[in-house]
Amino acid sequence: MDGPPEPELVRIRDVIYQTAGIFHPDNKLRLLQDRCGRRMKELKVQTLREYSECLTIRPTRQAELIALLNEITIGETSFFRNQPQLDALRRIVIPKILEAKSNLPLRRLRIWSAGCSTGEEPYTLRMLMLEELNVQLKDWSTEILATDLNERSLAHAEEAVYGSYSTRNLTPSYRNKYFIPQGDKLQVNALARSNISFSRLNLSDDSRMTFMKSMDAIFCCNVLIYFDLASKRRVIQHFFNNLLPHGYLFLGHSESLFGVNDDFRLVHLPGATAYVKGERTPAGGKSL
Amino acid sequence: MTAATATKQALLQRLDGLHQIPTIPAVLAPLLRYLQQPVEQLDVQKVTDLLSQDKSLAAQCLQMANSPLFGRAQNVQSLRGAVVSLGFHHVSDIAMSCGVLNMLPSDKASLDPVVFWEHSLGCALVSRQIARKINFGDPGKAYLAGLLHDLGIIVNLWVLPKEFRAAWEMGKGEGIPLHEAEQKSMGFTHCDSGRLLGERWALAPELIEVISYHHAPEKSAEHTGLVALVQLADLLCRMSGLNYGYVEERQVNLAEESGFGLLAQHSTALKDFDWARLTFELDSYMDEVHSLVRAIYRT
Repeated sequence: MDGPPEPELVRIRDVIYQTAGIFHPDNKLRLLQDRCGRRMKELKVQTLREYSECLTIRPTRQAELIALLNEITIGETSFFRNQPQLDALRRIVIPKILEAKSNLPLRRLRIWSAGCSTGEEPYTLRMLMLEELNVQLKDWSTEILATDLNERSLAHAEEAVYGSYSTRNLTPSYRNKYFIPQGDKLQVNALARSNISFSRLNLSDDSRMTFMKSMDAIFCCNVLIYFDLASKRRVIQHFFNNLLPHGYLFLGHSESLFGVNDDFRLVHLPGATAYVKGERTPAGGKSL
Repeated sequence: MTAATATKQALLQRLDGLHQIPTIPAVLAPLLRYLQQPVEQLDVQKVTDLLSQDKSLAAQCLQMANSPLFGRAQNVQSLRGAVVSLGFHHVSDIAMSCGVLNMLPSDKASLDPVVFWEHSLGCALVSRQIARKINFGDPGKAYLAGLLHDLGIIVNLWVLPKEFRAAWEMGKGEGIPLHEAEQKSMGFTHCDSGRLLGERWALAPELIEVISYHHAPEKSAEHTGLVALVQLADLLCRMSGLNYGYVEERQVNLAEESGFGLLAQHSTALKDFDWARLTFELDSYMDEVHSLVRAIYRT
């Protein structure tokens, strides 16, 4: 950071946060500027001020926002994309879910990757579950539902072959245990592909959304940012209804539900945030 | 007598023994006393002179004055320039930051001084940011309160280093908050020892309350809002990576913390406060805090 950030860039950052719910802290503003730069080149726009108008005043602002969000999320999909989030799932969230379900006869964990794109996220989750199979998840069955709107992405996910970019965060141990080399690429092996069901689903399809019941956790990363406020509210309400009382909703890095939904509660986990259903407790009920 | 009570007794005795107690750094006392006068009576040269008496403190102030965390656009070259550019109050805060944190013994076996610095500075910045955003009193006061809230840790490191190291290791091993580990293994926390030092140094009453009750703001009597604010800022820092050098394995809902309800009584803006955004903003603080503290520490 060299001095205070450019006011126009801060304005664009705020527009993106207000409309899409994804936030760029000051140390990521240069990246945002770079992404805006690509769009400005495309539109032959000279200044950030002019580009900011493309996002706020011009009739095509909605389409431009989506084009910019596409630039922002390019290359976002990879295995083990958000390690603190995954660590929190394993160390804190799964124990809490298991505890909440300890008296139920059916020992089953159901996780939904909503907007799974080309499959890196659900396979990552499956690998984590496999790692816990003989530890926390002994005697538990796990089921991962992975949905996306895009059929080409789903076909890629089911083929499960990935290049070096997607697999860049893999540790040698995961690479050896759960992948088979395919030329210069890697394919997810049969074990890590088991117990995942891929299907096409439009999150705005109210009738089908009501069937995604009894979830323990939902991951919906960098998907809601493309929805307008009304659709976002409907999808979040479905998530709320689909989750079990102890359920968790995870969003993408720096993605927020602020101003979208009042029912979910924001919780802080080490290095990550999540949303829980929880009870409405009166503030000040508990001492630290 | 249990082991814990025995340790508490030992602490009190050692503190009473005076010779082991950290004294307020020599340069700070006259500087802070001078800065307490009405602003119109203050003289830039006099402040610069007082600061210059401690070369390392002066250099550290200059480092901080040039950090983006303090909103500086242009490069400040001289100490006098820093005093003019930052203003008297900021200089006082910065001098206090450096002066107090310089007292840390360099025992890297437990809590690394750099990590402690980062937590304290992070908490100061987050406290200031919350105060600004919810229009809570003087952000400078919130900054100083955030900075000094863990004064007791410095006391513990000085007076009972072995016992404190055991507590820190327990906290790390079990992934529990440091004050819980201290309570379990020593029978008292850095809040208790911080209070003793704060009183001996005759710090401002609101600072003593923050130091004493930032893990239980409901116990504070006079300055509950400020204590509550620091509780939340401290917790947010610990959950966001500006911790004591280990991860607390837990889930925190800030709205359920006692400080949240108490702070809400002092600020209606808290109801609609965007904690998610503040958490994301912390990301950029982290980089700056790391590089600033490392730079200062080398000075």
